[in-house]
Amino acid sequence: MHFEREIEIKNSREKVWKFLWDVDRFITCVPGCREANTVEAGKSYTATMVEKVGPFRVEFPLQIEVVESQELSHIKARASGSDGKVGSRMKVELDVHLKDNGQATVLSLGLNVDILGKLATLGHSIIKRKADQAMEEFAQAIKNRLEGVS
Amino acid sequence: MAKVMSRRAEGQLIPISLTVNGALYEIEVEPNELLLDVIRDRLGLTGAKRSCDVQVCGACTLLLDGRPVSSCTLLAFEARDREVLTIEGLAAQNGKLHPLQEAFIEHGGFQCGFCTPGMILTAKTLLDENPNPTEEEIIQFMQGNICRCTGYKKIIESITAAAKKIKASSSRT
Amino acid sequence: MLKRFRLEEPESVKEASDLLGRHGESARIYAGGTELLLAMKEGLIHYERLVNIKKIRNLDQVKLDDGVIHIGALATHRQLACSDILQERLSAFVRMEQNVANIRVREVGTLGGNLSFAEPHADPGTLLLVLGSKLIAEKASSKREIPVEKFFVDAYETCLEEDEILTAVEAPLLPPRSSVAYLKFGYLERPSVGVALFLVLDGGGRSIADARVAVGCAGPRPKRVEEAEALLKGIGLKEASRAVEKAGEIAGHASEAISDLHGSKDYKEHIVQVLLKRAFHQALGQSQSGGKDQGGLRG
Repeated sequence: MHFEREIEIKNSREKVWKFLWDVDRFITCVPGCREANTVEAGKSYTATMVEKVGPFRVEFPLQIEVVESQELSHIKARASGSDGKVGSRMKVELDVHLKDNGQATVLSLGLNVDILGKLATLGHSIIKRKADQAMEEFAQAIKNRLEGVS
Repeated sequence: MAKVMSRRAEGQLIPISLTVNGALYEIEVEPNELLLDVIRDRLGLTGAKRSCDVQVCGACTLLLDGRPVSSCTLLAFEARDREVLTIEGLAAQNGKLHPLQEAFIEHGGFQCGFCTPGMILTAKTLLDENPNPTEEEIIQFMQGNICRCTGYKKIIESITAAAKKIKASSSRT
Repeated sequence: MLKRFRLEEPESVKEASDLLGRHGESARIYAGGTELLLAMKEGLIHYERLVNIKKIRNLDQVKLDDGVIHIGALATHRQLACSDILQERLSAFVRMEQNVANIRVREVGTLGGNLSFAEPHADPGTLLLVLGSKLIAEKASSKREIPVEKFFVDAYETCLEEDEILTAVEAPLLPPRSSVAYLKFGYLERPSVGVALFLVLDGGGRSIADARVAVGCAGPRPKRVEEAEALLKGIGLKEASRAVEKAGEIAGHASEAISDLHGSKDYKEHIVQVLLKRAFHQALGQSQSGGKDQGGLRG
C-alpha cells in the first residue's frame, strides 16, 4: 500500500528537522506508536505500533533503520516487525523530504506499507482505511506541535 | 477426572451425551473442542474432512438433527443431546448403500472423493426436504458445497438419479 | 485451533449481562459463533469467557404484535428464512435470509450475532436500515430501543455497551403501496456490495411518496443515503427511473468503498449504481404486480 502526503508546516526547516529526530516528541504525533527507543541515534530505533479495530488488536514491535539522511532535506528509513499472535508481518518504507516554499516548510511523506500474513487477507480493507486515517491524524498532529497550537 | 489447568482458563470439562449414527456416546469435552475433531479424532469417523476450515467449502459437513452444519466451526458441546449423522452412518445396518451413495458411484459423482461425504450428506438433506428437486433447485441447494474435481455436472446427475431411485423404491413399498 | 476459554451458560438476560459487566473485555456473548469462532480460530481475537446465551428462553421468536414485527435475536437465519409471518409481511427479508452465507451458516448463525459482530460484508444490516427498524438491547436492569441508523458505528463496532445484549429486532409493518428490494453482489464467500431500497407510491400509484436507500458491504458499515433518497422522492415514476442513475452514483460515493480484495473503489461504486437501478425496477415490478416479487436476489 502506498501513501503520499504533503504537509505545510508554518515553521522553519531547522525546527522541523530537529523535531523529526526528537524521538520522544515525534512519536506523540504518530497514531498507534508506543514506546519508541533510540538504539543508535541517527541510525536505528525501535518502536511498537498498536492498532485496534473493533475487538481486534494488533501489536507490531518494529525495528527501524535510517537508510539515508541529508541534513535538513531528506530521510529514508525502513521498518519491520511481526505480530506473532496474529501471524502477520509489517514492513514499512519511509521517504521524507523537507523543502522551503517561502512561507512555510513543506514536509513530503512517501510511505510504502506491506502487511504480510493472515492480517493481509482478512483485514486488507480495514488496514487501508486505518492507514489513511493515521496519515491524516499524523499530518494534523505534527502541524499542531510545530505551529505552536499544542 | 483429570483437570488440565492453563494459566488463564482452568480446564473445564463438559459431560455430554450425543447420538452418532444411531449409537449413544457419553463423553467429556472441553468448551474449545470442535465437533470435527471429536468426530474424527475421538470417535474415529474420518469421513468428514477439514478442508477450508472457515465453513465455506462444506467438506466438514455433518448432519445435526438432520440439518447440515460446518463441524469445523461448531463447538463439540453443541452436539449434546442431539443426533449426529456422518457419512459412515448413511448405509443401512446390513451394509446396503443409501441410494445417494449408489447413485454417486454409478454416475461418477466423485473423483478424489474429498468433498463427497459433505456433498452426499447435504444432498440427503435436500431429498428429505424435497424428494423431487429440479436441476435448478439442486444447484441452489448445493451451492455451499465446493468440488475441485468434477465440475459439478456428475454430482447433479447423481443427485437427480438418487431422487429417482428413492421415488421408485418408495412407490414399491 | 481454538485456545482454551471458559464457557458460561446463563439462563436469563440479567445473568448474561452481569457476566459481561463483571468480566468486561475478556468475555463475549456467544450464540451461533459463526463469526466469532472464525476469528478466534484464526487467533485474531481471544476471549477468556464465552457467554452462551442459547439457554435463555424465548429469544428466537418471530411475532406480530400491534403492527410491529418482532424478531428474536437468537433466531437463526434458517428460522427466519422459513418464517410464515415474515414471508407474509416482509418477504424481502425472507429472501435476504435465504441467501445469507451458505446453508450451514444459516443453520447455526443468528440474526443478533450477525448484527452484533458488525462484519462489514454482511446482509441483514443493510436491509434493516430501509425498514425503519429498531434494535432492542437489554442489560441487567434496563432495556433500550436503538434506531438501526445509530447501531453500526464502524467495522466490527456497534453502539452496544459492554454489558448490553441485543435481544430483538423490530420492524413496523410495511405501509400500503410499498415495496422493498435487497440486491447483493459478490464472488467471494462474502458479499462485496449490498443495496437495499424501500419505495412507497402515492395514492394514484404514479409517483414516489417515500424512498429509502441503504448501501452495505462496500464500506466499513451499512448506511442510509439520504442524498440519494431525496432524488427519488416526490417525483413521477418515469422521472424517477431516470433519476435513479444519479441516485445510484451518489449512493456509490456515499458507500465509503475502499479498494481491496473485493474489488477497486471505482468498481464497487459502480456496482452500487447498477444494483440500485435493478432494485428500483424490481421494487416497481412488485408494486405493479400487486406484491408478487420478481427477479432474483443477486443483482
